Amino acid sequence: MSPSETVLETTGVVVRFGGNTAVDDVGIDIRAAGVTGLIGPNGAGKTTLYNCITGMQRPDAGRVVFDGQDVTGLAPGARARRGMARTFQRLELFLSLSVRDNLRVAGDIVRANTRRKLDVEAETDRVLELTGLTDVAHLDVSDIPTGRARVVEVARALMTRPRLLLLDEPASGQTEQETEKFAAMLRALADDGLAICLVEHDLPLVMGLCSRIHVLDHGVLIASGTPAEVQASPAVIEAYIGAEVVA
Amino acid sequence: MTLFLTFTVLGLVLGAVYAIAASGLVLTYNTSGIFNFAHGAQAMIGAFLYYQLQVVWGVPALLSVLVLLLVVGPLMGFLLHRFIMGGLRDTADVTKIVVTVAILLGFVSLSHWAWDPQEARMTKMFFGVDSYVTVGGVVVRYHEIICLLAAAAIAIGLRLLFTRSRVGVLMRATVDDPDLLRLNGHDPERIAATAWALGSTLAVLAGILITPVAGGALEANALTLLVIDAFAAALFGRLRSIPRTFVGAIVLGLASTYLVAYAPSEWSWVTNLRDALPMIILFIVLLVLPQDRLRGAAVRTRERYEVPTVRRAAVWAGVMVLATVAFRQLIDDSSVGTLVLGLSFAIMALSLTLLTGYAGELNLAPVSFGAIATIVAFHSGIEGEGLDARMNVVGLALGVLAAALTGALVALPALRLRGLYLALATLAFGGLVSSMVLRETQERSWFGQDLALFPNGNLIVSPLAVGPLDLGDQTTFLYTASAVFAVLGVGVVALRNSGYGRRLAAMKDSPAAAAMLGQRLPLLKLSVFMISTGMAGLGGVFMSMALSSVTADHFVYTLSLSLVMLTVVGGIGYVSGALVGGLLAGGGFALIVGSFNELSIEHPVHAETFGVLSHLFLVLTALIGIGVGDNPSGNMHAIFRGQRVLARAPEVRYAALALTTVLYALAYTEVIGTWTFSLLVLVLWLALPAIGTALRAEKILPPEAVAARRATPLELVGIDTPYPPLLAEHLDRELGLPARHRATVPAPPVADATARTTTGPVAGEEAQHVPV
Repeated sequence: MSPSETVLETTGVVVRFGGNTAVDDVGIDIRAAGVTGLIGPNGAGKTTLYNCITGMQRPDAGRVVFDGQDVTGLAPGARARRGMARTFQRLELFLSLSVRDNLRVAGDIVRANTRRKLDVEAETDRVLELTGLTDVAHLDVSDIPTGRARVVEVARALMTRPRLLLLDEPASGQTEQETEKFAAMLRALADDGLAICLVEHDLPLVMGLCSRIHVLDHGVLIASGTPAEVQASPAVIEAYIGAEVVA
Repeated sequence: MTLFLTFTVLGLVLGAVYAIAASGLVLTYNTSGIFNFAHGAQAMIGAFLYYQLQVVWGVPALLSVLVLLLVVGPLMGFLLHRFIMGGLRDTADVTKIVVTVAILLGFVSLSHWAWDPQEARMTKMFFGVDSYVTVGGVVVRYHEIICLLAAAAIAIGLRLLFTRSRVGVLMRATVDDPDLLRLNGHDPERIAATAWALGSTLAVLAGILITPVAGGALEANALTLLVIDAFAAALFGRLRSIPRTFVGAIVLGLASTYLVAYAPSEWSWVTNLRDALPMIILFIVLLVLPQDRLRGAAVRTRERYEVPTVRRAAVWAGVMVLATVAFRQLIDDSSVGTLVLGLSFAIMALSLTLLTGYAGELNLAPVSFGAIATIVAFHSGIEGEGLDARMNVVGLALGVLAAALTGALVALPALRLRGLYLALATLAFGGLVSSMVLRETQERSWFGQDLALFPNGNLIVSPLAVGPLDLGDQTTFLYTASAVFAVLGVGVVALRNSGYGRRLAAMKDSPAAAAMLGQRLPLLKLSVFMISTGMAGLGGVFMSMALSSVTADHFVYTLSLSLVMLTVVGGIGYVSGALVGGLLAGGGFALIVGSFNELSIEHPVHAETFGVLSHLFLVLTALIGIGVGDNPSGNMHAIFRGQRVLARAPEVRYAALALTTVLYALAYTEVIGTWTFSLLVLVLWLALPAIGTALRAEKILPPEAVAARRATPLELVGIDTPYPPLLAEHLDRELGLPARHRATVPAPPVADATARTTTGPVAGEEAQHVPV
C-alpha cells in the first residue's frame, strides 16, 4: 500500500444534539502508514466525530467512507470486522478478566465473528511483547495503573489486526516515561502501514508524532495540514489562545 | 353504537388506572435508576389495606383513601428508599432487579399471611354501582369518572412537576449525575426519597382504583402482575416519557375491552387472551422499539466472581456425587424425593449461573421454560400405561429443545435492547405461560390434531427410562439428578474458561468495547439465552418427574422469582451458588414449611404458632433477598474467601474431614439423627476459618496481625501492662494534640490519678486542647 493511501474519509458529517450542533459539516481524512492528529479544545466535537466514524453515533448528515466503501449505515461491529478499531476516552476494559484475557478475548471475538484464521495464544503473546505488557499480563485489569490500562486498550485493539486504529486520549494518565515509550510504539506501528488517528490534549506528543493534523473547534473543522501549517494557522492560534501554548 | 361507546368508556377507565400505575413506575425508574418490580405488589398491598380499612373496619371511604394516599403510600416509599433502595448504588442491574423482586415476594407472602388467599374479598366502587350518569345512552359510574379525573390530574401534575418545578428538574438530574448534583449543594438521596414516596403513592392509588374496575375479588398474585401492565404502557414512552406512557396505557385499556366486546363467542380462549394481552402488547412494542445506542458503561460494580479451573470443578463434581451417595444412606425414602426436587431446581438455577453470572443477562421465568419442556416431553415421550409408563430419552430431548427454541422466540424482540428489557420480556413470558398455555386444559385442534396442551390441568409425568437406567427407583433418580448437575456444572465452568465464556464476560463488562472488536452481540446473547433456557427446560422436566404429577400451580411465576432470588443469594456467579439456591428453592422450603404444617397437625394446641412461624419464614426469605444489596456477590463468594485462609494450614482441613467422617459414622449407626449430623457438619465447615484462625493463628495470619494479637489492646494498657510515657506521647501525636510537658509534671500518686480521670481536671484538660 502506498503511504498516502486514504483509509478513512468523512464528508459533510453533521451531528446535532437538540439545538446544539456538536459536529458541523466536518470532512477529514486519515491515511495509511502514518499518525493523523485530531485536536481541539474541550467540547470541540472530537469524541462525537469518533463515534460517527465507529458507528456508535448515527450522523444527521454526511458520509463515512472506509477503505473505499460507504460504511455510514453500518453497525459498530460490522465496521470493526472490516478492520476498524478504537480505544475509549473513559476506559472500557473487561474488568472481570485479567490483562492477558482482555487481549485473548479480542482474538476469540475475531475467530468467532470473521472467517479469518488466528492463532489466539500466539497472537496474544506477540501483542503482549510488542506493547510491553508481559510483566502485568497475569494481573487483574482493574489492579494496574491507568497509564498501563490505556496501553491494554491499544493492545486489545491491535489483536484484531486493524487497518485503522482510532485512539481517544491514550496518553492521559500516563507518566512522561510511559508516554515516550507509547509514542515510539505508535511510530513503529505506523511504519508497518497502520493508519492511526490520535485525539489527544498532549500537544507536544501530537506535534512530534503526527504527519497530519485536523483541528476542530465548536464542531467546525478550522484547520488541516502538517504540524507546521496548523501551528501557523491564525484560526488555530485564536482557538487555543490563553488556553494552551502550541509547542 | 351504544355497545361501542360503553366499551370505549370501560377501556378508557382501565387505561386511566394503567396510566396511574405506569407513571409511578416511570417516576421511580427515572429518579433512582431502579426498575421497581415490586410496583404491582405495592398496589396490591394498597388494595388490601383499603379493603381492611373500608370493608372490615368500616372506616368511611374518603377517610380510608386519604389515609392510604397521604400516610401509607408516602411512608412505604420513604421506608423502601431509606432502608433498601438507597443502598443499591454501584451494584449491577441484576442485583437491583433481584432486590425489588425480593420485595415483591415479601409483599406477596405478607399479604397471604394477613389475608387468607382462600377467602374471597370484594371492594365496592366509590359511591356504589348505582351512582352514575348517562351520557348518550352510556352508563358512566362515579367511580369511573373519578378514575378518569385522577389520571388526568396526575398527567397534568407530573408534567408540571417535571418541567416547571425545581424538585422535578432535580429529580431528572438525579439520574443523570447524582455526584454533580451533590457538588451543587443538593441532596440526591432526599430527592430520590421524594420520588419513591410519590411513586409508591401512585401505586397504592392504582391498586385501590383497579379492583372494582377489573371486576372479581381481590387476588394478590393478579394484582402483583399489574407491574407488567404498567410496564407495557411505560414501554410506549421508552420508560421515560410520561405523556407517551399515558397514550400507551389508554391503548392497552381500549384493546383489552374491545377484545372482550368483539371477539367471536366461539373463541373460548379469549378470556385467557385478555389476561395475556398486556404481555402480548409488550412483545410487540419491544419489536418496534428503536435499538439502544451503544454507550460506554464499564463501571466497576461491587459484584466479584472468581472462575475456577475445569480441573477443580471436576474434583468438586466428584465430591458432590460421592456426598450425595453417602447422604442417601442416612435419610429415609420419603426424604429422597425432596432432595431430588432440590437438585432439579439446582439444574434450573445452573441455567441462571450461565446466563446471569457469566453473561449478565436475566431470565425471570426459568420455571416457565421448565413448563414448556414438561408439556412437550409429556406429549412426545411417554410410553407404556399406568405405573409402568416411562418417559423415553427422545421426549426429554424434545422437551429441552422446545425450551431452547421458546427461549429464542422470547429473546428475539429484546436482543437489541438493554438487559432490563430482556428481563421484563421473560417475566411477561412467565405470565403468558400461566394465563394461556397452562389454561389449555380442553382439547382443541392444533394444525389438524386434536390435543389438550395441559389435559385436565394435571399432567402425570412418568419417570425417565434409558436402557437399564430407570428413574422409577427414587435412589437411582437421586444419583442421576446429582450426576446430571455435576456434569452440567463442570460443563458450565468449562464453557466459562473457553473463548466463548470469555466473550460472554466481555459482553457483560463492556458491550461497547465488545462490539468495537467486532462481536455480534445479539447473536451471542441469543446463543447463551438458548443454552440457558434449554438447561432450565431440563431442570423443569426433572422437577415434574420428581413431583410425578404437576398442575399449573407448580409453574407459578413466584416460584421462578424465588429461584432467581435464592440463586443470587447463594452467588449467581458460581455453580455452588446455583446448587445452594436450587436446594433452598426446591427442597428447603417445601421441607421447612411442610414440617411446620406437620408439627401443627401433631400439636394442634400450638398450630397457630407454627402457622405464624412458617409465614414468618417466607417473609424472612424475602428479607434475605433484600440483603443481597449488601453482599451482591452472594454467600458462596464470602464462604470461599473465608476458606481460602486455611490453605496455609491444611491440617485444620484434615482434622475437620476426620471429624466429619466420625460424625457420619455416628449418624450411620443412628447414634445421632440425620438433622443433627447435617447441622453439625454445616456449622463445622462454615465456622472452620474462624476455628482454624483461633488454633493456628501463627500459620494463617500475616506476621503483623499475629503481633497485633499478642500486643495488649490499647484500652487495656495501664491495666494489664504498664503505661509507659512514650505511649502517651505517641497517642498525643496520633491524635494531633499539642505535646504536653509531661516530664516536668511529677507523676501523681495512684489514688490521685483515679480522681483526675473522673472529675474536675478533665474539663480543664479539654479546655486546654480545644483551641487546637
